Amino acid sequence: MHFAPLPYLDPGSGSMIIQIAIAVLLGLGVALRASWGGIKKYFGVKPKPEDEDDDSGDA
Amino acid sequence: MRMMIQAMRKTGQLSASFRDPSGFLFTDNGILYRQINRAYSLDYARLMDSGLYAKLVKANLLIPHVETDQLPAQSDAAFKVIQPEQVAFISYPYEWSFSQLKDAALATLSIQKRALKLDMSLKDASAYNIQFVRGKATVIDTLSFEIYKAGEPWVAYKQFCQHFLAPLALMAYRDVRLSQLLRVYIDGVPLDLVSGLLPAKTKFNFGLLTHIHIHAGAQKRYSDRVAAPRKGGLSKQALTGLIESLENTIKKLIWKPAGTEWGDYYENTNYTDAAFEHKKQLVKEWSAEKKPALVWDLGGNTGVFSREAASSGAYTVSFDIDPAAVEQNYRTVKTKKEQNILPLVLDLTNPSPALGWDHSERDSFGARGPVDMVLALAVIHHLAISNNVPLPQLAEFFASHCRRWLVIEFVPKSDSQVQKLLTSREDIFPNYTREGFESAFSSSFIIQRSESVRDSERTIFLMEAR
Repeated sequence: MHFAPLPYLDPGSGSMIIQIAIAVLLGLGVALRASWGGIKKYFGVKPKPEDEDDDSGDA
Repeated sequence: MRMMIQAMRKTGQLSASFRDPSGFLFTDNGILYRQINRAYSLDYARLMDSGLYAKLVKANLLIPHVETDQLPAQSDAAFKVIQPEQVAFISYPYEWSFSQLKDAALATLSIQKRALKLDMSLKDASAYNIQFVRGKATVIDTLSFEIYKAGEPWVAYKQFCQHFLAPLALMAYRDVRLSQLLRVYIDGVPLDLVSGLLPAKTKFNFGLLTHIHIHAGAQKRYSDRVAAPRKGGLSKQALTGLIESLENTIKKLIWKPAGTEWGDYYENTNYTDAAFEHKKQLVKEWSAEKKPALVWDLGGNTGVFSREAASSGAYTVSFDIDPAAVEQNYRTVKTKKEQNILPLVLDLTNPSPALGWDHSERDSFGARGPVDMVLALAVIHHLAISNNVPLPQLAEFFASHCRRWLVIEFVPKSDSQVQKLLTSREDIFPNYTREGFESAFSSSFIIQRSESVRDSERTIFLMEAR
């Protein structure tokens, strides 16, 4: 796999391939969730507040 | 940062940071600096200008730094020199309890999520980039960020899985002591090894199935292949999905400290509340009087006495061999938001060695000392009797780690805990007496005070290094 510029650590071919496969699958989930949120919003359901910016990694 | 100084090579460059072409650490007059090379100038500018730096520092996820006029150590490549805030004590992932490694993992993912939002990405996800600063898992390598290029996967994915997910899964599903594999494998535990060690039921856990088992299989299958880039690459949405999947998988990994050898040690002691309180009071008094900046509590258990030392303002590292005690100690740090106590797992009879390239990437336990004050409470009998270390050698050991003060408890043979240690073995310790102890330690220390612990046969000494 070639990326420009090359990373200074070897990301591993197998790791990159499997990452893309998993990420594409999970990306679908993120997309679905986003559009489901859109549908809910359209029907007046308030979205839950996003707390991600407040978490400090010690959850 | 003494360990850094000891790990320094002739160039002035510290050997723990030699891999990254973006820059490196060096010291001058005992102050730690990081040189940023010109090759990294655009990424550094983005980190600072995008607001990511400020955001991460505010959330205690990244070490704060200031830009300085300090001359660079290698001027031909230099872009800037920064001075990061000094970390009180450097610890390594194989010294962390389960929750410490878990929090370090979650901090890394939280940083990556925030970075992606501002079009940056972590270019490495090494567990060694994390240190506990004011009680919280914090990235100390300011040069870990790079400008995100649309469509590209996360270059540090493999490293993240090896450094964090793999050992955490082993600790949660197999045995907490497997964290020690991190001591053997400096770039994280190989995934094929982890996949083989994990119980079969982990294949029914989507995160572990994909990020460990299938990932390990893919590494093997494509090990000698250079794959072509995917057209269109990977969307940021997909990448976020990946990070969230890792996050969810890690959040669900649980280890409960029950059931290990000494988890409930304080409930199994032979001394009374009065004795316990007396010991606490002595440690508190002596640390308040001597005002050490850095204290090591060796055999600190869940940190009760470490907290007495820390109450004088000292940064106290509380070492114990039992991962359950250290886990409990760390949970207390989190609940009480304590900023100057660092619980760590350490076997005093086989302490952390110097590791990595040329033995200079990770410092040994000893190289990270000596410290102003060492506490050795209810530990001497384990070293002298269970581990057969003669008293003069014990005195030398403590003298080498102790710059000034030693607070040490002598537990005589008549004590029931020592009797327990002697029931199953021959008593080959004729010199293990209070007199023998005092005479052995007198060669390296001046005994300043000795107090009999109330309601017990034990004595606590305050000694000063000669």
